[in-house]
Amino acid sequence: MVMGVPPKGLCRHFSQQGIDLNTVYDSTTVRSPVIAELVDLWRYRDLLRLLVTNSIKTRYKRSALGVVWTLLNPLLNTLVLTIAFSQLLRFNLKNYSIYLLTGLLFWNFFAQTTVQAMNTLIWGSSLLRRIYVPRTIFAVSVVGNGLVNYLLALIPLGVIMLVMRHPFRLSLLLLPVALLLMAMFTLGIALFVSTLAVFFVDVVDVYGILLSAWFYLTPIIYPLSIVPEKFAAFIRFNPMNILLEIFRSLIYYGEVPSLLKFGGAALMSVVSLLVGWWVFTRKVDEFAYRI
Amino acid sequence: MSLLTASKPSSSLTVDASLPVIQVNRVSVRYRVPQERIPSFKEYAIRFVKGQIRYHEFWALRHVNLEVHPGEVFGIIGPNGAGKSTLLKVVARVLRPSEGSIRVRGRVAPLLELGAGFDSELTGRENIYLNSAILGYSHRETERRVDRIIDFAGLHEFIDAPLRTYSTGMVARLGFAVATDERPEILIVDEVLSVGDAEFQTKSFERIQSFQGAGTTILLVSHSLERVEEMCARALWLDHGKVVALGLTKAVVDQYVGRVVEAEAERLTQEAERLAQENTAPEAITRWGNRKVEIVHVRMTDETGTEQTIFRTGLRLHLHMDYVTQGPVASPIFGIAIYRQDGLHITGPNTAFSDMRLPTLEGQGTVVYTIPCLPLLEGLYYFSVAVVNQDDTEIYDYQDRVVPFRVVNLGEGVKERYGLLTLQGEWRHQTPNLT
Repeated sequence: MVMGVPPKGLCRHFSQQGIDLNTVYDSTTVRSPVIAELVDLWRYRDLLRLLVTNSIKTRYKRSALGVVWTLLNPLLNTLVLTIAFSQLLRFNLKNYSIYLLTGLLFWNFFAQTTVQAMNTLIWGSSLLRRIYVPRTIFAVSVVGNGLVNYLLALIPLGVIMLVMRHPFRLSLLLLPVALLLMAMFTLGIALFVSTLAVFFVDVVDVYGILLSAWFYLTPIIYPLSIVPEKFAAFIRFNPMNILLEIFRSLIYYGEVPSLLKFGGAALMSVVSLLVGWWVFTRKVDEFAYRI
Repeated sequence: MSLLTASKPSSSLTVDASLPVIQVNRVSVRYRVPQERIPSFKEYAIRFVKGQIRYHEFWALRHVNLEVHPGEVFGIIGPNGAGKSTLLKVVARVLRPSEGSIRVRGRVAPLLELGAGFDSELTGRENIYLNSAILGYSHRETERRVDRIIDFAGLHEFIDAPLRTYSTGMVARLGFAVATDERPEILIVDEVLSVGDAEFQTKSFERIQSFQGAGTTILLVSHSLERVEEMCARALWLDHGKVVALGLTKAVVDQYVGRVVEAEAERLTQEAERLAQENTAPEAITRWGNRKVEIVHVRMTDETGTEQTIFRTGLRLHLHMDYVTQGPVASPIFGIAIYRQDGLHITGPNTAFSDMRLPTLEGQGTVVYTIPCLPLLEGLYYFSVAVVNQDDTEIYDYQDRVVPFRVVNLGEGVKERYGLLTLQGEWRHQTPNLT
């Protein structure tokens, strides 16, 4: 039982002239929902683009300082935390601000995107109960939105690097690959928690608590070296750390991570995405009954 | 309107008229409602382990079979909760059938949700793109369509203002314009389409007519049997998720009306019995008077003289009051009153008001009150009947709200849909004379 995707050749939804009369929706067509959803998402790619651009537009439209805030926010945040941690805890890291901001930007992307995906799905549910659109489109658009915000936030990071005379290395060229992995990992988790959130109201709260614990279990504000030996392995193999280490290497240390590290991160991201996508698309037909 | 009566096959060459556009095969939709609401994951986990999760299942649709052919205008009727909307959602791909299968050939335009996903912060133009994308059009297609859409919606001056500055009517017009800019193969219409002002309604109605003329299949759900009879060649009657009847509209609607009337008649009989029983109780306060003249039996008949408890708006109603007197009684006054179910006193005519002087009565007889053209709209009403002396100083028999009757509105030239009365009024339009 699969969300219908027309057999090959019939699946062009719209022809140049307007409507293709062969558009067929057949609820029995046997095709994995995992793939069917992907095909439909591609069909609705223009909607996806609009959802991303609109949410950016509405976010910045009403306040003149909108864009400025996005740039200023991480700067001020970093300033506060830099003062707090470098003076009080003395981690003894060179250019601690950059170390910190690399972690914060990565974390913010992950945390904000997953939480927003849940909320957007609950918001989008009114739409899903009335009209057909690919159901993953909300989570994917939130990830796209997060990526745009992340890229904007790289500007203040660059400014800080310039000011602190931190070297810009060629390893930065690999950043898009790291972003792709980050997006895949995050989308997987976002889809998984959204599925749960549709069925249980308290998931949003529970997830919030989990997130704050996860934040401290990831070496974002502190270096791995201060972690006592017996916990180090636990923290090192925390999935968020595996991804974060990639970002740190590329931006902060200016090194290309080992193939093993890259491969590990890639494998983890792919698994996260596949599991999240699989769970979501399998349960998605029940959404219309639930939300 | 009469344009929409016949179901003619499409003139469009691209449609293979021999194949149905909508094929519903033994479709069932099951809702699983947890017997108690389990809101939290923690609770769920505990109960799951204990095996305490019980569901209350109900079938919103059960074994529904249906084929709709190209160019057909097809009606779906049934009481509330019969599964009509669920069926439309299955066709629109929003709900997947729990069992059975559905095949839909061609683009479906659901006119159920005009302006789905409209964002009040965005401008009208931006919303056209958004809504259009939700309906499945690509950006390129929308670029081609956008001017036509603005044109049809008549929103030139406002199109670049945020949607939150629009009136409800403007939003609805925009939604309709986007949804119907291109002719879909299948159009789903829920209830009477009333968008915007009268002028726009005409425009939208004409557009739907033109779609139908060009071969679009229309699926219409309506509570107005009149509208279904007028527009649809075939119809489906759903009740409790099951198909009760499927076939030519006239036959299906007649059957449906028959059933409704039957069920209602049964209810009213019970109601009358209940009232009668209450009346015989010693403390009954629904009846008083000294019974010098007693109204022993009251019945209602329709224009054909058949005894009835259900009447149609606009048709004739006779109320017969059989009386028996104790000895001669000089010129009593007979009167009635009509109440709505909620106790609203609608009117109370009597023989004296009508300057009708009855002779001295003795023995038995019948007084009949005739309403030539029943002005009441759909609802449950009661008659009170009474007989008093000629000066209205002595009550012989007063029976308060003892005769229930139901009024149904099945068209027949009645224009009002809501409220209490039909006024049989007429509309006229004038423009100021500028010369």
